[in-house]
Amino acid sequence: MKRARVAFDGSIHWATPGPNAGGLVLADGRPIGPTAMIWLPPIDRGTTIIALGLNYADHSAELGFKAPAEPLIFLKGFNALTGHNGSSVCPADARQMHPECELAVVIGRVARRVPRAEAMAYVGWYTIANDYVVREYLENYYRPNLRAKNRDGLTPLGPWLVDAQDLGNPQSLQLTTRINGQVVQQGSTSDMVFDIPLLIEFLSAFMTLMPGDVILTGTPHGVAFVKPGDEVETEIEGIGILRNRVCGDAVTRRERS
Amino acid sequence: MASCSVNGTVYGVVLNDRDECAALAGVFAEKPYLAAPLAPVLYIKSRNTLATSPALVQLPESCACLQAHVTLALLLGRAATRVDAADALRHVAGYALAIDACEPHASYFRPAVRQRCRDGFLPLGNFRAEPPDLQGGVIETLVDGVVRHRRDLSTLHRAPTQLMADISDFMTLDAGDVLLVGLSGDAPFVSAGQCVEGRLQDLSPVVATILEAEAQA
Repeated sequence: MKRARVAFDGSIHWATPGPNAGGLVLADGRPIGPTAMIWLPPIDRGTTIIALGLNYADHSAELGFKAPAEPLIFLKGFNALTGHNGSSVCPADARQMHPECELAVVIGRVARRVPRAEAMAYVGWYTIANDYVVREYLENYYRPNLRAKNRDGLTPLGPWLVDAQDLGNPQSLQLTTRINGQVVQQGSTSDMVFDIPLLIEFLSAFMTLMPGDVILTGTPHGVAFVKPGDEVETEIEGIGILRNRVCGDAVTRRERS
Repeated sequence: MASCSVNGTVYGVVLNDRDECAALAGVFAEKPYLAAPLAPVLYIKSRNTLATSPALVQLPESCACLQAHVTLALLLGRAATRVDAADALRHVAGYALAIDACEPHASYFRPAVRQRCRDGFLPLGNFRAEPPDLQGGVIETLVDGVVRHRRDLSTLHRAPTQLMADISDFMTLDAGDVLLVGLSGDAPFVSAGQCVEGRLQDLSPVVATILEAEAQA
C-alpha cells in the first residue's frame, strides 16, 4: 500500500491513490481531485532524521572527496521538510543550490544493536527525499553544516509512504532528477557505498532507532544548480515522482533595522 | 515544567567560547578548516539522547571516559523564525541545565554524530520559566562533589539572544525545540563510577552517574 499525508478542508488526512489520475481517496473514504489538497511530509515531527553524505562513490568523486571509511552521518530537524508540490527558497546570494535525489528509509520497529543480516525486518516504509544543499554556505565545521543543509523547507519529502514489502528490492532502484524536464542526475541504489542493512547495523549500534525515524541514504553524481522558477522532479522507481518548485528569496526577505 | 515537553529537536553549538576560539585560531587556519567559522557551528542531539536527571550515562565499549559538558538549555515555547536578538527571549518558555556527554574526539570537521548521539547522552534537569543571569551567571561542573570546571556565560562568543537571531535567520526554532547555548572545549573527562553535577545559580542541578560499558555477549 502507499499513503500520502495531505491537508484538505481544514484538517490533515492520510490518503491513498484514487481511481482517477492524480486524485486521492481520504482515509474517511472521500475522493478528492488532484488540486484539492496540500501535500505534507509523510513523517511525524519529533522523529530523528538521519542523512548520509558521500554514500555513492561517483558523487564523492565529482565533489573531490574519497568515499569515507565509515558512514558520514549528519542530522536534520523537522523544519527542513516540505511536502510534494511545495516550494523551496533559493537564497538571494546563492548560485550553487542543487537538488539531491535520495531513497528515504523509514524505520518500522525499535532497532537497537541490530545485526546486518536481520536489518531489513526493521524497515517499515520508503519514500523520496530531495536533500537540497546551498554550497556557498558550506563550512568546514561539522560539515555538512546546518546552515547549508538544515534550512527551512529545503528538504522535500514524499509524495508517498510505500510499505516496505511492496517495494521489492530497495537496492536496485533507478534514481532520476530532472530540472525543467532535463535529466541532471541518474543513478541506482545498487551503487550505495554503505547499503541499507549496513546503515541500520551501524546506526543502531550506538543510537536506538524508533519507528518513524528516517534515513536519507545519499545521492548519486549529478550536481546541477537551480534558480528561482525552476521545476525540480526527483523520481525513484517503484515510489513515484516528488515535485518541487524553486522560488526566490524576495518573498521571505524582510528588512533588518 | 518537566523535560517531557521537549517534543522537537535539540540543537547545540560548539566553538561558542571567545577564549577557546582565540586559542584555536592557528588550528583553524590550517586544513581541514582553512578559515575560522562564520556561522554558529551547530549540531543536533537526537531524541534517543534525552534522559531525565538524575540519569545514568553508560560508557561505550570503545572508550574509558566521556567528556561531560554542562550547558544551559533553552526550551522554545513559541516558534522563532528570523527573530531579532532583542525579541528572542519572548520565544523561550523554559531554562534548564543539561549535561551534553560525548566520546572524546579531536576534530570539528565532520559532524560527530556517533560520538555525541548515543542513547542517554543528554541528561536534562527541570525546566523553569524564569531565566538565570544570562549575562554573568557561572555554570559549575562538579565531579564527585568537587568543582572541576567553571563557565562564565559572559564569555560566550554569541550570547543566547544573538544565537537565536543568527540561527533563526535560516531555520525555524520551533515550539518544543531546545537550544543548548555552548560547550567548553576543556570540559572535564569522567569515567565509570563517577558522578557529574551541573549547577547554575538556583536552577535545578543536573546530575548523571557514569556506568561501565555493557558487557559484550
